[in-house]
Amino acid sequence: MAVHPLPAPVPARGLDPALITRLSAIVGDRRVLVAQRELEVYGSDGLPSYHRRPACAVFPGTREQVVAVVRALAEAGVPFVPRGAGTGLSGGALADSTVLLGLNRLNRILSLDPDARLATVEPGVVNVALSRAAAPYGLHYAPDPSSQAACTVGGNVAENAGGPHCLKYGVTTNHVVALTVVLPDGRVTTLGDPDGEVDGYDLVGAFVGSEGCFGVVLDVTLRLTPMPQAVRTLLADFTSLDAAAHAVAAIVASGIVPAALEMLDAPTIRMVEASIYAAGYPVDAAGVLLIELDGALAGLEEDVLAVETVCRAHGARAVRVARDEAERARLWQGRKKAFGAMGRLSPHLVVQDAVVPRSRLPAVLGSIQAIADRHGVMVCNVFHAGDGNLHPNIAYDANDAEESARVHDAMREIMESCIAAGGTITGEHGVGLDKLPYMDAIFSADSLRAMCDLRNVFDPDHRANPGKVVPVHACREWHMAPAARRAVEPGGAC
Amino acid sequence: MQAADVVARVHAAAADHEPLRIVGRGGWLHGGRPVSATQRIELSALSGITEYSPDDFTMTVGAGTTLAEIDAAARAHGQWLPLDPAGDGTGSIGATVATASAGPLATGFGRPRDHLLGIEFVNGHGAVIKGGGRVMKNVAGFDLVRLTTGAWGTLGIITSVTLRLRATVPGESLVAPLEAVPEAIERAASGLRHLAVPPLAAELVGSPLAAAMGLPGHTALLVRVGGNAQSIHAQRAALCALAPFQTADDATWHRLRASGGAADAVWRLSDRISRFAETWAAAGVATDMAGGGMLHGSPLLGVVRCMVPAGREGNAATRVAHAVAHPFAGRQVGEALPEGAWRAVPGTAGNDLSRRLRAAFDPAGILNPGIMGELT
Repeated sequence: MAVHPLPAPVPARGLDPALITRLSAIVGDRRVLVAQRELEVYGSDGLPSYHRRPACAVFPGTREQVVAVVRALAEAGVPFVPRGAGTGLSGGALADSTVLLGLNRLNRILSLDPDARLATVEPGVVNVALSRAAAPYGLHYAPDPSSQAACTVGGNVAENAGGPHCLKYGVTTNHVVALTVVLPDGRVTTLGDPDGEVDGYDLVGAFVGSEGCFGVVLDVTLRLTPMPQAVRTLLADFTSLDAAAHAVAAIVASGIVPAALEMLDAPTIRMVEASIYAAGYPVDAAGVLLIELDGALAGLEEDVLAVETVCRAHGARAVRVARDEAERARLWQGRKKAFGAMGRLSPHLVVQDAVVPRSRLPAVLGSIQAIADRHGVMVCNVFHAGDGNLHPNIAYDANDAEESARVHDAMREIMESCIAAGGTITGEHGVGLDKLPYMDAIFSADSLRAMCDLRNVFDPDHRANPGKVVPVHACREWHMAPAARRAVEPGGAC
Repeated sequence: MQAADVVARVHAAAADHEPLRIVGRGGWLHGGRPVSATQRIELSALSGITEYSPDDFTMTVGAGTTLAEIDAAARAHGQWLPLDPAGDGTGSIGATVATASAGPLATGFGRPRDHLLGIEFVNGHGAVIKGGGRVMKNVAGFDLVRLTTGAWGTLGIITSVTLRLRATVPGESLVAPLEAVPEAIERAASGLRHLAVPPLAAELVGSPLAAAMGLPGHTALLVRVGGNAQSIHAQRAALCALAPFQTADDATWHRLRASGGAADAVWRLSDRISRFAETWAAAGVATDMAGGGMLHGSPLLGVVRCMVPAGREGNAATRVAHAVAHPFAGRQVGEALPEGAWRAVPGTAGNDLSRRLRAAFDPAGILNPGIMGELT
């Protein structure tokens, strides 16, 4: 079908009052926020280092309203940023003087087919709410980001979110079967198919992880996973981080696939233990491994014993197996609330998400410590060791310019060291604004241009989440059409 | 041969308006996909393992590398690539990825998109593009890995891939005869769904094929389980509560993989896993319409594969086309069909997003034009 050429994107600050009126007519006056103090809360996501205030925030309540809003924005040529719960950790859901499209009111589970193990949900459904709804059927939704009590499935799709249990069960993209989306130009289209194999391009694969740049999810069909018959959670206590890292490699090499294999270092342990989330971790350990094994009861104890043996052979002082569900929940609470515990220390937190080849974990952890020492900052490592997905975090006070400079220098060096080890810049948090400066370090100009080409297929006008993911200078238009360049600022993204 | 040679061929093809038929090791050429190319580019020379890090369970290989070579190298380190598309291991990894081909092990380990960590390809602009990397999790930038997997080369010529390997674990193959009635199929499918440990592979094998493979019964259920000794023992006991399972020869799986080799028409029916018995029945009807053939399918994937042998009569292609187009609640995908039958496969490749995607990555239309059906 013919696509009408749309006007070039215009900055949305000082939105046309007629557009505000039109949006209000679609969703109701109370669901369109324009007052500065009301918009303040939408200026950040889970990463407090970035603040960008939207010009307006719109909260549709039905899919028809979402489509109508997107069409109104398309006709006005105004950019927008889709947002779920705003728990992201990359600055990806920030709308800089543009329209923020909040999807958290679309929170219905549209269908749940336990026999086919599929659920179709609206984007605003909270991750854990889906698992709760599936529980009576002995099923759950496997990807479990630490923010799962708050984050939405739509946000999970946009970020291709992970979580501790992704080691065994896979990340979001391994669980998405089909999507209905509204493209930035207002057309509604279906990607994938819950009723069988699709012949054609893997548009679901392309859309998942597109960080809100390809359109807005209206509904998503997800694969549900049977609950394991039994679960065993182990805490292995090491006096050296290096030994813990070697134990990780040995567990994976054994052929046993743990449901989760997490590492917490000494600073993280001490912070967790000093908080209300105290989990009973040994405060004198250099590091602990939190290991979960699940599956059928038959054979599970043998795997537990095998993992315990590997840990001890690699120098574990003690290996504790949670005796009951309460102890298991407590061990996990310390891990999942570690970011929260760090928040007690200082007002700001930088969070990294690099992934390195697993064999490089011992060396990279050593480099991170050396970099931290050199810059006089304290790094807390709490991460998905089983798949090499690091989260070195630094709590600091952003109002202290000198400290901020040291923290940011250390973070840059840590990232460079992960890249040099053959790693990538983000494993599950997304590029957003935060990782944008590193995209050139891991992708060639041609590869970045291919990503721009892909974005253009979905959003030729660059109105969906502008300024994120791919640096603007990588785009074909940047080199070919000076007119198109005026709309974007140098150093931003396409 | 290197990626640079592929770049040169793409530039020349674009300049001369001479479209390329992309060939790995030639295994798909008999598939009859309607490609309108005037020249071939063969990638078998782009072969070999460029990097293997057993500690990381990652391997980077040229697109022309055979599955057998990957398997041999990995098994020397107690690892494997659990990907078993139809054929015998002489097929290339590039073609396997480009066609998103998988076999019975997809039940336990997923499809090519789930095994791929990184990809390198040459797009229609003649640029070498890299997506992903060699780490287990990666959300840096848009997903070019999944985009090009299953794109049949139309978005770029795959030159290299980085694979995620797994540790080999002890396992056992089991087989049981089933009655060829819908109730028995439904009971078996439902039983498989409710096992405490999902099997690594589970294939229902229909009557002529089961007999040809020397399997017991009219219809046979072939299962592969894995784990430690206690787990295997318990899995076997659970299966025996469903049907009279016996130990099967591991080579049975090789025979199943090779079974489509003599067929002229191969296509798949699929639907929700809860409707597997209906899908199996519909596949039987379709195969009969095409003149009779062989069936096998995975109850846990909800997919049934129909294989119809060579039809010598003039109307064989028409019969197959009717069979493929026969109304069915689920979806149909072609693997190999007589030339005239491709139009019968309902595809989604002709939608507007797909056309724009094709135009963005191959503006000159020189990469396997026509191979995705409605695109040209």
